[in-house]
Amino acid sequence: MLVFLWLVVPGPWPITGGLAPRVFAHYFWGVESTLYRPAPDQPLAFSHVTHAGALEINCAFCHRTVEKEETASVPAVEQCIFCHKIISGTGDAAVAEVQKLRDAFQEEKPLNWVRVHRLPDHVQFVHEPHIRFFAQQDPAAPLEATCATCHGDVKTMTKVKQVRSLKMGDCVNCHKDYNAPTDCAACHY
Amino acid sequence: MVQERPKHKWTMVVDIDRCSGCQACVVACQAENNITINEQRDFLQRRAKEWIRIERYWEAIDPSKPAEFPNVKARFIPIMCQQCDNAPCEPVCPVYATYHNNEGLNVQVYNRCVGTRYCANNCPYQVRFFNFWEPVWPESLRNQLNPDVTVRSRGIMEKCTFCVQRLSRARRTIEGRRGKRITDESMTEENLMPACVMACPTGALVFGDREDPKSRVNELLKEHDPRQAKSVAARGYRVLEDLTTEPNVVYLKKVDPHLKKVKAHA
Repeated sequence: MLVFLWLVVPGPWPITGGLAPRVFAHYFWGVESTLYRPAPDQPLAFSHVTHAGALEINCAFCHRTVEKEETASVPAVEQCIFCHKIISGTGDAAVAEVQKLRDAFQEEKPLNWVRVHRLPDHVQFVHEPHIRFFAQQDPAAPLEATCATCHGDVKTMTKVKQVRSLKMGDCVNCHKDYNAPTDCAACHY
Repeated sequence: MVQERPKHKWTMVVDIDRCSGCQACVVACQAENNITINEQRDFLQRRAKEWIRIERYWEAIDPSKPAEFPNVKARFIPIMCQQCDNAPCEPVCPVYATYHNNEGLNVQVYNRCVGTRYCANNCPYQVRFFNFWEPVWPESLRNQLNPDVTVRSRGIMEKCTFCVQRLSRARRTIEGRRGKRITDESMTEENLMPACVMACPTGALVFGDREDPKSRVNELLKEHDPRQAKSVAARGYRVLEDLTTEPNVVYLKKVDPHLKKVKAHA
């Protein structure tokens, strides 16, 4: 009876969605990535493979505040138009997506991106010191290597997906490894 | 393991002689820390949340006569969490949601709190507040919430944090990015003193780091703390000091010209 309930009752996020298959996959084959929510569909098929991969645009060029502030920031439509006023993309699919962006700009409507990495409200995560710390560790490393510590190899993802659990245990383990503060008030206030 | 000497020891000095009871600190605190608006029902049920409050007392100017209109004066004392070194709220928490960190702050961890309210019952200063309801703001105020501070949900305890979000930012910007020591000047410049201190128009509230020998709180404590200064002019005291809670908030008592006059006449 208990086993039956465990199979049927949806577990807490990110182990959502019915679940027995994913839970089995995790426990029996250790497929960690199956634990996390599948990559959500975005309102526009933005490709990190093109932008970050092929074009090698620095992460901070679009996520402008990542080295300065709490949030990395998702670029506004205007910021995309900065390049896409001129660049229409190559291939029909890309052109169609860029057209969606231009339409949004013309209609003055924001693009409602679906959030991929979400922390609970009682966690105050700040990007700036994390980026600064890893940059100090290895000044020669590019910014994307630092970002990849938590976000994975985004430039190979067609749809961005969460690759680390980003739960408290995950954070604390890393903080211990790097001798970062583990005081509760470092993140919870 | 040898424990490292903590880098900071946050302390507040409240000069009651300067306090005019204007409540600017109360307003600033409510805005900074996402505290819900206290309505009539909150006060009637004694569930109002004020992380810092101004207590008002009426006192006779000449104690030998009855305390009636001309012979009466108002006294104000701002009371916030005293961040006791020997805090009575801490040992009673069954889930360690309130604990002492190495900077002398009495920290409330919201996500650990299960809402037993033992801590509030054990606090002699009555500065812990329980969320009896889910916090609600009028639609027009939704966008003024401070993103650096958690909105506490129903069923958990909250209290003054010495604006730990600002201290954390100070650590990031001043210590981390510029590699300098946090000083009174740099904190004031960057608007990183606690909200009540920044708002106080008369400078009655002084906040600082006791580990920094040049800080203003250290100066004041050297001059006024009865444990350090033996002078008659030392005005410092701690509220309910005989409970041995060892508060980190030191009050400087009012200099009372009226009292001197009365004494001189008597």
